[in-house]
Amino acid sequence: MAMTRRQRQRTIRMVLYAVFVALVVVVLLLVDWESVSHNFFLTEGFTGNWQDMILVAAKNTILYTIVAFIGGFVLGVLLVLMKLAPVAPFRWVSTAYIELFRGLPALIVIIFMGLGVPIAFGWRPPGGTVGAGLVALMMVSGAYMAETLRAGIEAVPKGQSEAARSLGMSAPWTMTSIVMPQALRIVVPPLTNELVILIKDTSLLFVIGLAASQKELTTMARDFMASGPSAGTATSLVFAALLYLAITLPLTQLVAWMERKQKRSR
Amino acid sequence: MNIRSLWTATAVAGLVLSLSACGSDDGADAGDTGTGTGTGDVAAADLDLVTDGTLTVCSDVPYPPFEDFDESAPSGFSGFDIDIVQAVADGLGLDLAVKDSSFDGLQSGLSLNAGECDLAASAMTITDDRKKNLDFSEGYYDSLQSLLVPAGSDITAIGDLAGKKVGVQQGTTGEAYTKENAADADIIAFPSNAEMFQAIQAGQVAALLQDLPVNVDNAKKSDGKFEIVEEYDTEETYGLAIKKGNTALVEAVDKQLGELRESGEYDTLYDKYFSADDAAASTDG
Repeated sequence: MAMTRRQRQRTIRMVLYAVFVALVVVVLLLVDWESVSHNFFLTEGFTGNWQDMILVAAKNTILYTIVAFIGGFVLGVLLVLMKLAPVAPFRWVSTAYIELFRGLPALIVIIFMGLGVPIAFGWRPPGGTVGAGLVALMMVSGAYMAETLRAGIEAVPKGQSEAARSLGMSAPWTMTSIVMPQALRIVVPPLTNELVILIKDTSLLFVIGLAASQKELTTMARDFMASGPSAGTATSLVFAALLYLAITLPLTQLVAWMERKQKRSR
Repeated sequence: MNIRSLWTATAVAGLVLSLSACGSDDGADAGDTGTGTGTGDVAAADLDLVTDGTLTVCSDVPYPPFEDFDESAPSGFSGFDIDIVQAVADGLGLDLAVKDSSFDGLQSGLSLNAGECDLAASAMTITDDRKKNLDFSEGYYDSLQSLLVPAGSDITAIGDLAGKKVGVQQGTTGEAYTKENAADADIIAFPSNAEMFQAIQAGQVAALLQDLPVNVDNAKKSDGKFEIVEEYDTEETYGLAIKKGNTALVEAVDKQLGELRESGEYDTLYDKYFSADDAAASTDG
């Protein structure tokens, strides 16, 4: 028998609903909830570990992120100015740097800076292994931020700098007072994304060695997998995951809000 | 309307089908574990293995001389631990498969509980804490802790560590020993000996406190740049870790370990890795 278009659509919708309900029911029945709550949500893990997890680990995670972000931003500005420089060798160096550090995993750069470079050159970055790790994160995020900044600068209409130059402003003055401020406003959302990536990348610092007071969220959670009230369960990982989300979700929401606002103002 | 109810009926039927399918799955599972733990006999079929016919072993590699990569070995790995579990697997008539894993997951019991492997052989000391989440075989190696420093360092004993940076492996008995006996030292935790040895070469730490045989290996590799200044008898014994509750496998492994010692094969393996001219040779009787 023939179905009208409307009937057919309704039928398809019904089937999709049924499939969804079936999947939910299957999951609810298949999962061993007692085992899930024991492994992921052991109450003692939260009550017993919160002081170290929040006051030491989350604090360090935020601190490392801020330091690496500021350092990376300064490096990024330097790189983009070199990339836009009228003298070619500056552009070559900047391009080579950006391509190199965008192409390498952050973990490798961290091991290089923390362990490889000190052995090879006998020079140790200040701040011990953490200092070396943060320098590595700056080097990597600087490369990404330089590209973001370049996109922002190129998004500023050419007429802006042409108008400024025809008013008699010098090229550097045009760059710093006319182009850069507008570019920065454009790149705030992508830069915030870079910040979110950095928050997660601080977890890689564990590889070059951390003292107890220097541990960030992932390292601390790994510790608590093996010792303390929730040892032998993944509760501490869930705790760390929740703390990461508590930091990153507001930031990603902020980016979404800024992007909506920017779209409207155009 | 007719057609809608037809579709609904189909969907409900499908749902019921899928539910009954999971139901029977669960039943089969429960039956399996029932026979697995019920008998004390050690027939390979009753061992509740992750993969039938294969002894799957997790190990945090490299950690020479206990485990290291070795293309010439049938499992792709060699070392004292690997040779021991290879012999155990042979004795049980099983193939050996080795998985490189992180020590965190091994010693917390998560890897075993997650069904990643049947056995963890990773120079793991038997401790009461770990026994809460794991079952252990009999001890198969008596270990000492030790302190490695650059040759000529002014650190000559654990008492000299105050205010100095000492590298340990995260979650190990060496870390626990350092916390207890050198609490005023600056204790830096690394994921494995690979990073620890790099860190002391880089001058990021002034000393390494960890299992003696591994430090012996580090000292040997360094051509005299590093030396062991102290050994600590912590009465530690390494055991093979097995998922909590898999008694059949514990018994089977213990029986194989006993046979290895009786046949003299254990001594052969021991001498292969800890020959008489190594400091480590003094550790086991």
